[in-house]
Amino acid sequence: MTTQAENTRPGRTYQPKVDILETDGGLRLWAELPGVDEASIQVELVDGVLALRGRVATDEYAELEPLYTEYGVGDFDARFRLSNTIDGERIQAKLRHGVLELELPKVAAAKPRRIEIAR
Amino acid sequence: MALFNLSRDPVNALLRLQQELEQAFQNPRGLDLGPSGRGVLPPVNVFRKDQDVVVRFEVPGFAPEELSIESRGQTLTVSGKRAQESASEGAYHRRERIAGEFARSIQLPREVDPAQAEATCKHGVLTVRVPARAEAKPRQIAVAAQ
Repeated sequence: MTTQAENTRPGRTYQPKVDILETDGGLRLWAELPGVDEASIQVELVDGVLALRGRVATDEYAELEPLYTEYGVGDFDARFRLSNTIDGERIQAKLRHGVLELELPKVAAAKPRRIEIAR
Repeated sequence: MALFNLSRDPVNALLRLQQELEQAFQNPRGLDLGPSGRGVLPPVNVFRKDQDVVVRFEVPGFAPEELSIESRGQTLTVSGKRAQESASEGAYHRRERIAGEFARSIQLPREVDPAQAEATCKHGVLTVRVPARAEAKPRQIAVAAQ
């Protein structure tokens, strides 16, 4: 049985909705983290596992009395195992309207290369 | 997938069942029904704050100018349209986000006035605050001395 590290912050944790696009140059990943600001996002690459974590400020919900709810408010957590073709040093991240966009370029050796045939 | 397979290794089967249930509880949508079971509309939460109604939509990826809010009577309609990040090259490994456009209407209680509503959008969360009508607010009635 696999054991997972436990969450040390109380409250619920959700898996963000994610799009992953692979191109010849690398991977592009979009993760939806509504309600999370730039300072509360953590992107980490450890041992080939990319970990995204976003903390949602819940203090503004303190004085709101729920009447009807469809979504839970809580932190976001997602993990992806990357192949060693991704260049961890050149990963770029930006946040736009609650969506985290990651550029994960491939290392040069993993890109497809066209080999010309000498005449 | 068979959840129960006690004949071979009952202990392991129970552990697996426990894992399955744990996953189901961790998932905000409960047991995952697959792509068809998921909503294609942004989820909404409705709150009461003092006498006002606060409506929140999760609309990550939509810029404030890509959203429009309209009220007609007691119906509040939120719609959004965004340019699709079209992939001219490559292939998707995962596609879970709502793409394109949506429109969603909700009915508000009569005590609030949608004409006075105010909206803000921050980090992909749209908040619409609809204040209470003056006549719905509690009123102190002075007792006249005779």
